[in-house]
This record gives sequence, C-alpha cells and structure tokens, in this order.
Amino acid sequence: MLDLYDKIQESLTFIKSKWDTAPKAGIILGTGLGPLVNNIDVQASIDYADIPNFPRSTAISHKGRLVCGTLDGLPVVAMEGRIHMYEGYPLKEITLPIRVMHAMGADLLVCSNAVGGLNPYYRKGDVMVIDDHINLMGDNPLIGVNDDRLGPRFPDMCEPYTQELIDRALKIARAEDITAHKGVLVAVAGPNLETRAEYRFLRTIGADVVGMSTIPEVVVAVHEGMRVVGFSVITDLCFPDALEPANVNEIIEVANNAEPKLTKLVMGVLAEEK
Amino acid sequence: MIAPEKLAAQAEEAAAFIRGKFDLPLKHAIILGTGAGVLAEQIDIDLTIDYGDIPNFPKSTALGHKGQLVCGRLAEQPVIAMQGRFHLYEGYDVDQATLPIHVMHHLGIDTLFVSNASGGMNSKMKSGEIMLIESHIDLMCRTTPNMTGDVQKERSLLRSDAYDQQMITNALACARREDFAAHQGVYAAMLGPNYETRAEYRFLRRIGADVVGMSTVPEVTVAARHGIRVLGLSVITNIANPDVLESTSGQEVIDAALVAAPNLKALVVDAMSK
Repeated sequence: MLDLYDKIQESLTFIKSKWDTAPKAGIILGTGLGPLVNNIDVQASIDYADIPNFPRSTAISHKGRLVCGTLDGLPVVAMEGRIHMYEGYPLKEITLPIRVMHAMGADLLVCSNAVGGLNPYYRKGDVMVIDDHINLMGDNPLIGVNDDRLGPRFPDMCEPYTQELIDRALKIARAEDITAHKGVLVAVAGPNLETRAEYRFLRTIGADVVGMSTIPEVVVAVHEGMRVVGFSVITDLCFPDALEPANVNEIIEVANNAEPKLTKLVMGVLAEEK
Repeated sequence: MIAPEKLAAQAEEAAAFIRGKFDLPLKHAIILGTGAGVLAEQIDIDLTIDYGDIPNFPKSTALGHKGQLVCGRLAEQPVIAMQGRFHLYEGYDVDQATLPIHVMHHLGIDTLFVSNASGGMNSKMKSGEIMLIESHIDLMCRTTPNMTGDVQKERSLLRSDAYDQQMITNALACARREDFAAHQGVYAAMLGPNYETRAEYRFLRRIGADVVGMSTVPEVTVAARHGIRVLGLSVITNIANPDVLESTSGQEVIDAALVAAPNLKALVVDAMSK
C-alpha cells in the first residue's frame, strides 16, 4: 500500500526529464476548460501513455496528455483529458496525477467539470463556482494504509474549496458580467444519468448540481494540503418534473459555448497568483 | 469476499486459538473504539493477545488503536475486549473487518458492547457526551457481509440495526443515577477516511442522523445476524455544526474520548451486572 509514494517519485522523475520547472498551479482541463490549453505557452506536452503509472483516458471529447508551460507568464501544468471512475479505474489511479502535480511544486489545483443543474435558478451555460461537495460515489481515493509522507490519515474537510479563491472568482465574474453561482456539487459514480427520483433526492439533500467527477481529485488535493478552486458548467437542466432526455451533442455544444467565460474566470484567478 | 465455508473455518480456527489461551465461559465482549482504549485499564486482565498472533486476524493500522485482544474480568464476569478494530477505510473488505464478530459467536458471546468516536450533528449534543445508538444509517456503500452457513438458518434476524432497546433503557437509567448526560439517537456510517464536508453534514442531518462515524455498522450487522445483543455507545468526540464548522484533528477526537471514558465504563459495568 505504501508504494504510492514511490510511484509518484517515478512519474515525477520522468516528467522532470522533459520539463524541469516548478509549476505554480495544476489545472484539470475538464469539460468547458479544454480550449484554455490554447492560452498556454507550451514548453512540453507528454502523453499519459508515456508517463510511468499514469492511467489512460477513454472518455469522449477528452485527450490524454500533460501540458506543461506558462499561462500568461505563470508556470502551470495542465491535464488535458481526465479519467473517470465510471471508466472502471480505481480512484487511487485516477488521482495519482494530482499527487504528481503537487510533487512538481503546484500548491493550487484548478478543476472544472460538466454538471446537471438541480437548483431551479440555474440555466444552461451558467457557471457555478464550487463552494462545497457531497461525495455519493460510494468510494474514496484515500482508502488503505495511510502514507503520512503524503498527508494525514483523517483529512479535515471544513473548507475543501478555498474561500478566498471562490470570492476572487465571483468578483471577476461580476466584473466580466458573467452569471456565476456559488453552490454545492454532488458526485455520483455514474455512468448513467440520474432518474427523476434520484434528482429529487439529490436536490433534497442540498445539492445544486450533480456530476460524475472532480470530488476524488479534490479529496486528494486536500489530503496533499493544496488549495483548490473548482468550476462547474451547467450543461443540462435536471428538473425532475419537466425532465427532457439528455442529448450528449447538445451537452457538448453548451459546454463549448461556456468555454470563453470559464477561460476568463480561470485566467483572472491565476493572474493574482503571480 | 470470503466464501461462507472458508469464513466459518477461519472464525472457528481463531476461536479455538483464543479458547486455548483463555478458557472461561464467555458471554460478553467489548469493541473499544477510538480513545476508549482506557476502558481496557478497568478490566482485571488475565492476558492480552496481539492480533498478529491470532490466526486469520488482520492487523489494525488506525490512529489511537493498539491491536490486541484483552482477556480478563469486568464486573466479576469474564470478558474479551477488542482494543483496536478494523475499519473499511484502512482497506479491509467487510468480511475481514467483521471476522472478529464471527469469532465472538464461536466463543459463545451473546452480548456485545460496541463503542466508537463520532461527530455530533444533533445540536443538543456536546463534545465528550455519550449517545446510545438506537438505530443506524449505512452509507458505507460496501457493507454486505458474507454470512456463514449457520447464520443462514437465522433469517428471522434480518434487521441489521438490532440494538437492544432494554439495554438502552437500562443505560439511560444508569446515566441518570450516575448524573451524566446520555442521549439516544441515530448513527450514520460513512466510508471515510476524510471527515465530512459542511454539505455532507447538512445532508446527514436532513436524513435523520444524530451522529456520524466511520465504523460500527459492519460489526453490528454481523452481530445481529448471529443473534448477539448489541449496546452501541457513541462518544461525541467533536461537534459537527456545518454553520460554524471548525477543523477537526485526530488528537482532538482522542482527547474528547478520554473525557467520556469513566462514563463509558459505568454504562458497560452496569449492563454487565444485570
């Protein structure tokens, strides 16, 4: 169980042989954040398949490479393509890249995901800055013997998403006239979308949006002691009394349309990290 | 998952080993949760057996847990106490984690005291107080213990929250006599190992839980199937109020558990004297 530390070191050594800079931030280019890569002055681009211990991605609209470079002058490392629990990977594997990014030097994790909106005030294409989460994935990446070199046995979760960064993101949203909410993400394992009864359940327990990713990565980032800021793009509306069949192409279209907004928010948040 | 026949054989082998060392007629067993280890000091100890020496027993890795079986006398009756238990977040599967309960059944145990450390969400509860578990909510997502052949016959005992109401009533009377606060309520079991987020506390409170922890439910489920009476004792080791949430440390949990230790002992001794 304690081989995780060695795996991280192995991945780190390989990446350093290609790009030997300490990034300020690690970015997961989830749905809606893909084109941010175009703003990165790329110094190294490494396929996951080449990095020891990295899993490979199979999801649609996701590539699988680690992009290293500078974003508006700030050294960053970005994961282009994320791996989901519903693809069948153990959470420890899925979250290994987060630990590697931290080992490279990143103390801030930026992540995004596509979600279904449960809060009736949310609209397609809106952005939600994640304030908190509910883990209903039925699994946890920290299960097993704890390696104290990586983080504490029982990580505290009273502020998994850094409040200062949430406030910063919302301020930028107001300045840019972008509709941005602050709310609670619930993550389920998937891959099927939820039933109407499940949407009612999730809304009842206090969730504003529902997704199938992000929480494992955030739990590991908190375990590592990183600061976290997360963005959800509402790509479909999950109002159980007026539910329409989900259309993957439409979801992707909505996500694509939201990309410029998300890019502005992330660029703005990171501008103050320099 | 261990095959039922193999599980029964493993339990029998472990029971025979323990009987070889401590051959008194046993009725009572105690599982000492986080911080409740001091209760072991109240036992008139005949011998202790390291888990590592007991055939088929896993080893305990959790903070504040020793990992030994204490054999002796409490309230002038023979008793065995598990000092250190097996948590699912340590990576054990549910059958490994509950093997000791099968062993207890083979040893003739008919009454089990299960203690644990928990986060109090009910606003009436204070840190260091004890809640008698009236029922539980299983949110561990993997608590389907395998049952040995002899248990299959006892399908009338399918309720897993078979906490003994008479024992609860007696315990509440004992607490009044001894003049300390004791509550009655619902224990929610999470997989862990991270503490809950604010949103998760709100969720758990809304669905009817008074306290939350990361243990007990697997053991109680197996005990119930064996027809073992259970008194569940939750020590409130931290207050989980999502609106003024403060970070929780493992040490804080252990400190609060020490405050509750004398009261825990009073309740167990009183029940054993009946």
